Amino acid sequence: MSVTPEKKAPGVRVSGLSVVYRTPTGELPAISGIDLDLVPGTITGVVGESGSGKSTLALSLLNAVQSPGRISAGSVEIDGLGDVVKLRGEELRKARGRHIGYVFQAAQNSLNPLKTVGKQLLDLGRSHDVADLRGLVREAKDLLGRMGMDGARVLDSHQHELSGGMRQRVGIMFALVLNAHLVVLDEPTTALDMITQATILRIVREVHEERGLTTLVITHDLGVVAEVADRLAVMYGGQVVEQGPTMEVLGAPRHPYTQGLLRAIPRLVGDIDEARALPGRPPTLGTIPERGCVFRDRCVLRMDVCETEKPPVVSLGASIALCHAVEAAADRDGRADIPPAGGLQEVVGAQGATGVHEVRGEQP
Amino acid sequence: MITGKNITKTFRQRGSVLAGREVRALRGVDFAIEKGGAASFIGESGCGKTTLGRIIAGLETHDSGEITIDGTPMSPLKPRQREPYFRRIQLIHQDPYSALNPTRTIHQTLDAPLALRARQTRRPRSWVDERAEELLALVGLDPAYVLPRYPHQLSGGMRQRVVIARALTVDPDMLVADEAVSMIDVSLRLGILGLLKDLRERLGVSVLFITHDVATARYIGDDGELYVIYRGQVVERGHVETIISDPVHPYTQSLLSAIPVLHGLEQPGEQPVVPTEALDESHHDAGCLFARRCPFRTERCESELPVLGRAEGTPQEHACFHPERRSVVATPIGRG
Ligand SMILES: Nc1ncnc2c1ncn2[C@@H]1O[C@H](COP(=O)(O)OP(=O)(O)OP(=O)(O)O)[C@@H](O)[C@H]1O
Ligand SMILES: Nc1ncnc2c1ncn2[C@@H]1O[C@H](COP(=O)(O)OP(=O)(O)OP(=O)(O)O)[C@@H](O)[C@H]1O
Ligand code: SF4
Ligand code: SF4
Ligand SMILES: [Mg+2]
Ligand SMILES: [Mg+2]
Repeated sequence: MSVTPEKKAPGVRVSGLSVVYRTPTGELPAISGIDLDLVPGTITGVVGESGSGKSTLALSLLNAVQSPGRISAGSVEIDGLGDVVKLRGEELRKARGRHIGYVFQAAQNSLNPLKTVGKQLLDLGRSHDVADLRGLVREAKDLLGRMGMDGARVLDSHQHELSGGMRQRVGIMFALVLNAHLVVLDEPTTALDMITQATILRIVREVHEERGLTTLVITHDLGVVAEVADRLAVMYGGQVVEQGPTMEVLGAPRHPYTQGLLRAIPRLVGDIDEARALPGRPPTLGTIPERGCVFRDRCVLRMDVCETEKPPVVSLGASIALCHAVEAAADRDGRADIPPAGGLQEVVGAQGATGVHEVRGEQP
Repeated sequence: MITGKNITKTFRQRGSVLAGREVRALRGVDFAIEKGGAASFIGESGCGKTTLGRIIAGLETHDSGEITIDGTPMSPLKPRQREPYFRRIQLIHQDPYSALNPTRTIHQTLDAPLALRARQTRRPRSWVDERAEELLALVGLDPAYVLPRYPHQLSGGMRQRVVIARALTVDPDMLVADEAVSMIDVSLRLGILGLLKDLRERLGVSVLFITHDVATARYIGDDGELYVIYRGQVVERGHVETIISDPVHPYTQSLLSAIPVLHGLEQPGEQPVVPTEALDESHHDAGCLFARRCPFRTERCESELPVLGRAEGTPQEHACFHPERRSVVATPIGRG
């Protein structure tokens, strides 16, 4: 299948997006007021802990949030499709698959156990009015082959005859086979071992480049985004608290959560004690604070204003953080650029002490 | 102290396509775990880690070989005689979500095994509640908060701690933690690892740690031993720090090379090793089990099976004809 010019990598602009879930105690927000741009042709990684709202965000891009949830505010503008939040019925169904390929979380278990992979592929083709079903099968075999599998054998197999890693790759094949140019992968390598994970990430990267895609990879594993993503969005309590180019966010994280998360990663080399657990635990649907900063219960830089005021959006260089302390530091220094590498040590170094002043004290 | 000598296990697959196919899950594995010691098993999916863990916990039988617990060989014993030995080895499942009964409060979950324990040790009933609180405090939880709650009201990290507390109700000598932290959020992971380390140091509980994530193996104690398992064979074994910084077996090197690099914070290792092919358990070769995927294989590797042994010049044991140190692990930027 050749790439038609109008199907080149689309840009995506998520603005003010909120999703609520109905619960016995009323409708509660799972994500609130998210702004996020997917730059055409890039891989964006969304990272965050369990319950931070990653899957909810991914589903929103397809307008596929299911009851008891609903998109309560905001828009998702996709080049060539318009605002998908407004799409309905047949239009929406066609957009999924053709324009937006996706692999849902737990794709390992999302295949139909009663049908072979090949049968499910033909079903998919028919439901999208693919005229050339043989071409579709050829394409699928091709993709599976690229991912190191015997395509013909896989198409003849049932789900239970495939290992976890094989199923993940079958999921990715389904996301790509209709030649969509926006691809959403929710936890594509979770529960896989390192070697299989590395293989899958390499394939994601290769196919992304070859086909000129815009890709969103969702994961709870910072290592995964660090490996594949050009840009990184860090979620906490239903918000994107920091985003920017991967190298910048990891090399000089601004938001106290990003800093804490990076510090909590068990490291392969160096001093074991450099890694520290982040105190406290992530909020859940009912415990996300309504006012102020969602991270304040665990934040060592917390100030009074964090209790009551929504954190401001602070742009620094190419990255953005939502945090009062980051704003205070930026104002004070009167500069909007990124401090040199070592930003992590500067701010984290101050965390043992009480607050923002130490941050200043350590800056050149 | 628990030791295993030459443990083997073969499964016969059912399923339509694979029917009758044999999987040699373990091909003569030796291990030894001291009281209060730590051993970690790492390896690709399907290499036999869980099988070995289950055999050690007495939940799976083996075909041949001998397991010895505190000097007593298990094979001559009747199942009933083995039971008290294996009861002191507790398995912690990887998934704290399914390991706890959702219809029972944490109080109920801990009460049953403790009441049994009280009867066995002739302790008064009042001991049960005291002990429940003690155990929860030991794993870093607030008993008043946790006891009346149901599992779904707790975070993953808290649930995993409850699972560990439940395992401790029988005063085990050893915990077998099979991917016990993989499902736990990153920010909480170190807490659980620290707890396992603590249990070793304070109570002398041995820990057998099964994981995909090599880095976590360092955190249950840097005195631990690392076993790298490939297709049922231990291919490299030694001190955890040695194996991570100076691996000599190409398979270990592939595993370590596959660990994601935190670009921006780390630079990749200089000599990463990537297997030339994907794992295919079905092929049967006379030679090295890794030969088909190994970038460094020679003719000898294809006809002769290397066995685990200590070679000159390396502190660890390995099963490779051409061991060579390679720097494969990513290093922090700015510190070389
Ligand atoms: N169907 C539902 N009904 C009620 N609440 C829900 C539902 N689906 C998700 N939630 C809640 O919304 C919040 C966000 O969930 P979401 O699945 O988006 O998180 P996630 O970041 O993908 O987490 P994970 O890493 O565990 O996949 C969570 O608190 C979750 O409990
Ligand atoms: N009950 C069983 N019946 C048949 N085959 C089995 C059984 N249990 C395990 N196997 C096979 O034995 C091999 C080793 O499995 P095991 O679960 O020990 O691997 P593992 O190293 O724990 O893998 P993972 O990292 O995926 O958990 C695999 O090929 C598996 O398919
Ligand atoms: S300093 Fe305030 S705004 Fe920033 S993360 Fe901490 S609590 Fe939130
Ligand atoms: S024995 Fe040969 S094939 Fe096997 S790991 Fe060593 S070099 Fe590779
Ligand atoms: Mg999710
Ligand atoms: Mg296992």
